[in-house]
Amino acid sequence: MDILRLITAGNVDDGKSTLIGRLLYDTKNIKDDVLESVAKPGSGATAINLAHITDGLRAEREQGITIDVAYKYFTTPNRKYIITDAPGHFQYTKNLVTGASGVDAIIILIDAVNGITPQTRRHSQVAAFLAIKNVVVAINKMDAQSYSEAVFTAIKNDYLTIADQLGLKNITFIPISALMGDNILEESPNMRWYAGTPLMAWLEQCMPNECNFSETRFSVQCTIPQLHEGNGLGYAGKLLSGALTVGQTLSIYPTGATATVAKILHGYNAVAAANAGDNVVVYLNNEGNIGRGALLCAGEKLNISNHLDVTICWLNDQQKLQPGKYYLLRINTTEQKCRIGNISGKLNLDTLTYEPNEEPVSVNDFIRATLILDAPIAFDPFENLPENGRGILIDVETNYTSAAFTISLRSVAPL
Amino acid sequence: MNHLDQLEAEAIYIFREVAGQFRRPVLLFSGGKDSTVLIHLAMKAFYPGKPPFPVMHIDTGHNFEEALTFRDKLVAQTGLELIVRKVADTIKAKNLTDATGKFPSRNALQSYTLLDAIDEFSFDACFGGGRRDEEKARAKERIFSIRAADGSWKPYNQRPELWNIYNGRIGSDDRAQAIAHTQNVRVFPISNWSELDVWRYIQREGIALPALYFAHTRRCIRYEGRLIAVSDYLNIDEQDELVTKKVRYRTVGDMTCTAAVESEAITIAEVIDEISASAISERGETRIDDRCSDAAMEDRKLKGYF
Ligand SMILES: Nc1nc2c(ncn2[C@@H]2O[C@H](COP(=O)(O)OP(=O)(O)O)[C@@H](O)[C@H]2O)c(=O)[nH]1
Repeated sequence: MDILRLITAGNVDDGKSTLIGRLLYDTKNIKDDVLESVAKPGSGATAINLAHITDGLRAEREQGITIDVAYKYFTTPNRKYIITDAPGHFQYTKNLVTGASGVDAIIILIDAVNGITPQTRRHSQVAAFLAIKNVVVAINKMDAQSYSEAVFTAIKNDYLTIADQLGLKNITFIPISALMGDNILEESPNMRWYAGTPLMAWLEQCMPNECNFSETRFSVQCTIPQLHEGNGLGYAGKLLSGALTVGQTLSIYPTGATATVAKILHGYNAVAAANAGDNVVVYLNNEGNIGRGALLCAGEKLNISNHLDVTICWLNDQQKLQPGKYYLLRINTTEQKCRIGNISGKLNLDTLTYEPNEEPVSVNDFIRATLILDAPIAFDPFENLPENGRGILIDVETNYTSAAFTISLRSVAPL
Repeated sequence: MNHLDQLEAEAIYIFREVAGQFRRPVLLFSGGKDSTVLIHLAMKAFYPGKPPFPVMHIDTGHNFEEALTFRDKLVAQTGLELIVRKVADTIKAKNLTDATGKFPSRNALQSYTLLDAIDEFSFDACFGGGRRDEEKARAKERIFSIRAADGSWKPYNQRPELWNIYNGRIGSDDRAQAIAHTQNVRVFPISNWSELDVWRYIQREGIALPALYFAHTRRCIRYEGRLIAVSDYLNIDEQDELVTKKVRYRTVGDMTCTAAVESEAITIAEVIDEISASAISERGETRIDDRCSDAAMEDRKLKGYF
């Protein structure tokens, strides 16, 4: 059994909550007492407020909308699903970005009655920004459109234009009815014209995010006292990519020193090697002065610079981006003060291109800009190694997480 | 990696983030299975060192004897520092009204004791064993949940939390000023675990639990279909039906508001089979106080509850 992280995105009332409720209900992941609390008169699935299974907060229940991100879980014999229910309203796009970061798959819901909306474009942009690998467009409420193939095809073709503009590839389209259960678990008898798989089958075959990047990157979180041999500290952290082996020579950033690996602990066991994704403790020979925020590396491709070319999504609804102001940048555990330099463009949602724009940058805006750091840091472009190519900007006055960014390949292009 | 390895890796990463970001963390420990798993994860995360924080029990006074014995044994085994702060003392000091009624649960009163203890020790981060699958309000909580100085949770203004970058900054860069009476952070390393994940992990790692979690014979009253252990804290009256049953607990909390379930399961494997087959959720089956209102948990969280 493995884990698949998944998000549903859609406009308000497109049926996200109903779909999640449906997935949980059909896979028998809802217990009786929970069903009881969301029941309405009648019988069977249609007698349940499927949408209420995920709506946790009272204000939301009262307003009948989903405000923040809610996490739900269900399992099949194959895998554990972590499903994020994210808000549909425009003003909550920042929550969508929170919910969608780190997922393996996204379900973009479109209401077959309304077709593509500006929100569809926005959600697709979020998928493109975060480079989500598995994208399915679920065209919902097919029951309200007489399960018509023509309606499905028209929306699909419209969407392909958007996908093309955003550079989203390998998209799957599935016509569904979350309310009635068509093409969720079973092939729908109402849409014989659809030759593809139901949604659940698509989810079961999705590959979780994997990264082919093979160079060693180890991010230090904290130090661990060495209780047994010698006096050296252990460095606890995560191997972001590549392999780590005893005897290997590593470069250390930001100090620039080199050291060899003396010992690796994985849990309670000393191991000869660790693999990408492992949380381990590393002991080094001749390590010098390092601590949280250090990056231990091997390989040729690492980049070091104090200018980063980035795409930014602004997340702060209280404060607009202030050019010239100092923000605290964080990539994994590395922190550095930075300012936002030249802003080359802001995303125009109608054209899906970045255009010059003099307006202040406010919540939910996507921009391309340069970050100017107080001191150089070691990084990889997002495209090569997402885990070492993205980060957040913290407002040091409020400590709010004000922006998310990904580092563009342009950062490493020859000047 | 299989799903338990992934969940463990995520939790260990979170523990180490807290060690890297905070000066005075504490692990909230009740003697229950979730916080016991937290201790196990913490020991692993900092091996061969020790977790750089104490554990704290907010003691309602309504304890299962077995949970207390277990608590003291685990603390002795691990060598962790244990802090105990008692709800009864807070009630006295603050002149609060103790819980009354048939089930005088001190669950809500725990929040006061917790907030006082956070102040007393200047804790800046508290680990809790909350899981998002337990309850609908929990399902919305971040892994790093920022609480205001009065302990309250502001669900509508949570910080964005992206990837595995946890922003635990509180107070200001002026460290002296940041120490007391400021925000604190609740951290939930096993947010993404289900009840079954917890049990499968307990099985895999061979984690010891209080005997309460396995079938044993107990005197109970039957109340609205639930079995509540007979104890000094429960107000029994003539109408109550007294029964002796083979039971076990799915959660362990305040004795007066935690129900037992009939069970024959005496091994971890049997418990896992039983939970897999159960048609009722963990909280639904065992917690009495959450049932009072649909929004009960949310109300308590807004006021500083775990
Ligand atoms: N006809 C039809 N109605 C649906 C379907 N899915 C959802 N709905 C309805 O659309 C409305 C909004 O659904 P909800 O799940 O709350 O949308 P959300 O805002 O995206 O979470 C509700 O009245 C649902 O019953 C569907 O497949 N067919």
